[in-house]
Amino acid sequence: MLRVFSNVNVNMTDNAVMAEVSAGRVARLAVLFERYHRALFRYFISMNGHREQAEDLVQEVFFRMLRYRSSYDPAQSFTAWMYQIARNAGVDQGRRVRMAEVVDIDSFALASSAPGPEESVSRSQDLALLRRAMNQLPQDKREVLVLSRFQGMKHEDIAEVLGCEVGTVKVRVYRAIRALEQIYFTLEKEKAS
Amino acid sequence: MTCEQARTQMLGESGGEDFAAHLASCESCRNEVSRIGTLWQSLDLLPLEEPSGTVRERFYEMLGAYRQGLASAEPRKAFVWWQAAAAAALLVLGLGLGYGVRGDKSRPEMAQLREEVASMRQLVALSLMQQQSASERLRGVTWAYRAEPSDREVLGALVTAVNHDTNVNVRLAAVDALRRFAASPETRRAVIEALPSQTTPLVQVALIDLLVDFKERSAAGVLKTLAANQGANDGVRQQAQWALEKLQ
Repeated sequence: MLRVFSNVNVNMTDNAVMAEVSAGRVARLAVLFERYHRALFRYFISMNGHREQAEDLVQEVFFRMLRYRSSYDPAQSFTAWMYQIARNAGVDQGRRVRMAEVVDIDSFALASSAPGPEESVSRSQDLALLRRAMNQLPQDKREVLVLSRFQGMKHEDIAEVLGCEVGTVKVRVYRAIRALEQIYFTLEKEKAS
Repeated sequence: MTCEQARTQMLGESGGEDFAAHLASCESCRNEVSRIGTLWQSLDLLPLEEPSGTVRERFYEMLGAYRQGLASAEPRKAFVWWQAAAAAALLVLGLGLGYGVRGDKSRPEMAQLREEVASMRQLVALSLMQQQSASERLRGVTWAYRAEPSDREVLGALVTAVNHDTNVNVRLAAVDALRRFAASPETRRAVIEALPSQTTPLVQVALIDLLVDFKERSAAGVLKTLAANQGANDGVRQQAQWALEKLQ
């Protein structure tokens, strides 16, 4: 019987794959694209709420990875490097297209995927409120929550992306969730009144 | 540990023994952990957005264009090298130290590029065939036609799809794609091994046709068993019998 997926390419670590891209085997970027394009898309859409912009930015990130591949240091965390590129791409686009500090809730709702199962359960109202609360979080707080919760990044990697100490990341994550909590309860009260 | 310090340990990575000891003695922090922990967990319930299919198409177009750009830059590089080599050769000649020692370096470079193209096709095929969506896996099978016929990894992925994919269309497409790998004895062996474990008549018939196309006489045993199997679909049994006659 054939051995299946024995190719180390598919199982290589991100750092090793990017090191190969950096060394000139640019086709290897396809592996990293398949691993990360969804996560990047979700990062961007969580930050700006616009599907088209998020998709453009995903494209931009992978293009920049190719363009700046020689600057990649294999000793550095790949995800931290990738999100640094993503942040810069987002900032650059923000200069071109003014990114709203607070996302327009209506447009975000339209951009969201088709009604999911959560909308058919009794908690749908809570989730809608939670989403609104997330969208109302200031961008810096939303970003640290997105990176730590949605992207599942380690505090060390987030610190590298944000250019701060690990302790600062922990404090920022705590403050972000507290801010989210306050916004959520405010929205809940508004709804009840 | 103070409450202030404990707050930075409440989320994400585990807090350690000091944090646990603090929680055991501080009701206020316990309540806070419970409250924001619930909110933290509930973030998981927010629906995940999916990018459209055009993101992948655009990426591979971009990658292809980038690689073409690299490839078209290679002759220029080679030209510069040739100029330098020619100058060096003339210098050597002029100095009476013999003829130039030039060589053609562009060939290994082009060979590397060709290898990278093959590698990219392989990666695209393998990556797509691992996707959750059946339509993506079908695209992966389509990409398998662009792989080198000697590519054992793509062959392995196709055989896996034939044997284990939950979607019958993907399994059928994978059977068809195996024709590209007809020259490999591994392909023939894998098709023979796949036949008894298949339960979908469409796939069974496709595999039988493939064995006939391969003129694979060593499949006679498996075909006889299938033709005699009363539990098998009538059409499949007839096809197996027909194949046995064709392969005689």
